[in-house]
Amino acid sequence: MNLLNYVPGDSFLHRLNPVTKLLAAFLYGIAAIICNNVFAEIGFIVLMILISATAGIAKRALFLTRNLMLLGLIMFVIQLFFVRTGDPLCVIGGFVLFTTGGLKSALLLSLRVIAAMLPLMLLFAITQMNDLCNALVKRVHLPYRYAFIVTTAFRFVPIFATEFHDIQDAQKARGVDFDTKNIFRKLQLIAPLCVPLLVSSLKKVDVSAMSAEMRGFELRGYKSGYKEYPFGARDLITVLVLIGLIVVTALFLK
Amino acid sequence: MIRFENVTFGYSEKRPILDDLTFHIEKGDFVALIGANGAGKSTISRLTNGLLHPTRGHVYLNGKDTLKTPSSALARDCGFLFQNPDRQICENTVKDEIAFSMKAQGWPTDEIEGRVDRIIKTFDLDPEWFPFSRSRGERQRIALASVLVCEPGLLILDEPTTGLDYLECIRIMDYVTRLNKEKGTTILMVSHDMELVQSYARNVLVLNHGKILGQGPTNEIMKNMDVLKKARVLPAQIPELALRFGDEFKDVFTVEEMLDALRAKAGKGGAL
Repeated sequence: MNLLNYVPGDSFLHRLNPVTKLLAAFLYGIAAIICNNVFAEIGFIVLMILISATAGIAKRALFLTRNLMLLGLIMFVIQLFFVRTGDPLCVIGGFVLFTTGGLKSALLLSLRVIAAMLPLMLLFAITQMNDLCNALVKRVHLPYRYAFIVTTAFRFVPIFATEFHDIQDAQKARGVDFDTKNIFRKLQLIAPLCVPLLVSSLKKVDVSAMSAEMRGFELRGYKSGYKEYPFGARDLITVLVLIGLIVVTALFLK
Repeated sequence: MIRFENVTFGYSEKRPILDDLTFHIEKGDFVALIGANGAGKSTISRLTNGLLHPTRGHVYLNGKDTLKTPSSALARDCGFLFQNPDRQICENTVKDEIAFSMKAQGWPTDEIEGRVDRIIKTFDLDPEWFPFSRSRGERQRIALASVLVCEPGLLILDEPTTGLDYLECIRIMDYVTRLNKEKGTTILMVSHDMELVQSYARNVLVLNHGKILGQGPTNEIMKNMDVLKKARVLPAQIPELALRFGDEFKDVFTVEEMLDALRAKAGKGGAL
């Protein structure tokens, strides 16, 4: 599953202004970050999956949640063993392995990471990168150069993924065994993959820059876009609801 | 050498890229795979060395089922030259780059030294060159040298001359031909260039929408305009011209043969 692909649709979320979608994802993330309650964090994650279901991207949300759990697990382990506040909870041979404070902090941080990142990742499923770039230029008057940099970086991700796959194939065809279980051998195999990828990426960047210059990249301003991105009542309601969510979280769940 | 048995391959059941293909390629043959974009040429080459696995059916390389043998193990039998040499070059000097394949395949160190030095001389390369800063043609030669240093029994060339100037193209193809004739290396070449196919390949496999449209000696296929047209392939110019001239020119395939035939015709006072 490509996590950056746009999923076409006509839902409430799809019809929001791209700038509102970006703002909403950030506001939801802020609410999740200021929340200090484990159960409320789980609620944030479940709520986001339910909201995704209204836009027909529940499958993507579940897939993302599962992948973010791996990241959450790393945070959990680090917090669990390094935060030493609270009472000892697990003691082995007189050594305190982890504490109540460590467990609470580990749970909270790992869930917070998932809850805050999920809406930002799901943004790509309901927003086309071109629309986001153009709306930021048109409505926020962000210089086109910066909007272009961000959208191009995301657009290149699948291209580099394909390139990486092709490089891996080329090296396999030369006899490189990437399935080795030897960790030192695995580390040695990074160079034959990364060097060709780096070289081809630099070449692509050069060609893309030249191609953009040739097509009048410098001339483009916020008035150049053909498509309009008006704000509507639904955008206002969405932002107000999310500000309300932040206020409620700050008052009752902090 | 290569055997495809009822091979179907695709990412979806409804639209397979290859549909129930059965063919074999003899040891020592020089076969060109031709067809339009998306016909399945590159898929066949990747199935042959185990980079892809068939959805149905079996592919055998030297009797080894590619489903049961990892592609890194098949690399000893099968060298693969990609269209873009930059996908494989990863070392700082030509010498290290050429030795890379041998090291990956676990060759003894003393043999690596000897073979690398020999192939560097054969390909007219400098062992201390920084590969990334060389021309496209030189990079392709470095890539070919690093494949051939292991002396594989089968060499797959995926559009090997794309982006090369005429002299580099001839240089690479002449070396490959010599390898085929002198050492009996089997060559499987994917190409869109019918002039190249006409000049070098002994047999041709024509593909269209994942099925075999025609198969046979190059000279026969090059004069079968129906097959070439269906496969959306631009025929080589001399065979097409010869075909238009009629039966008297039926054995004409090269510029030299065309000149001889025209001189003979003019000598007889005939009109074209």
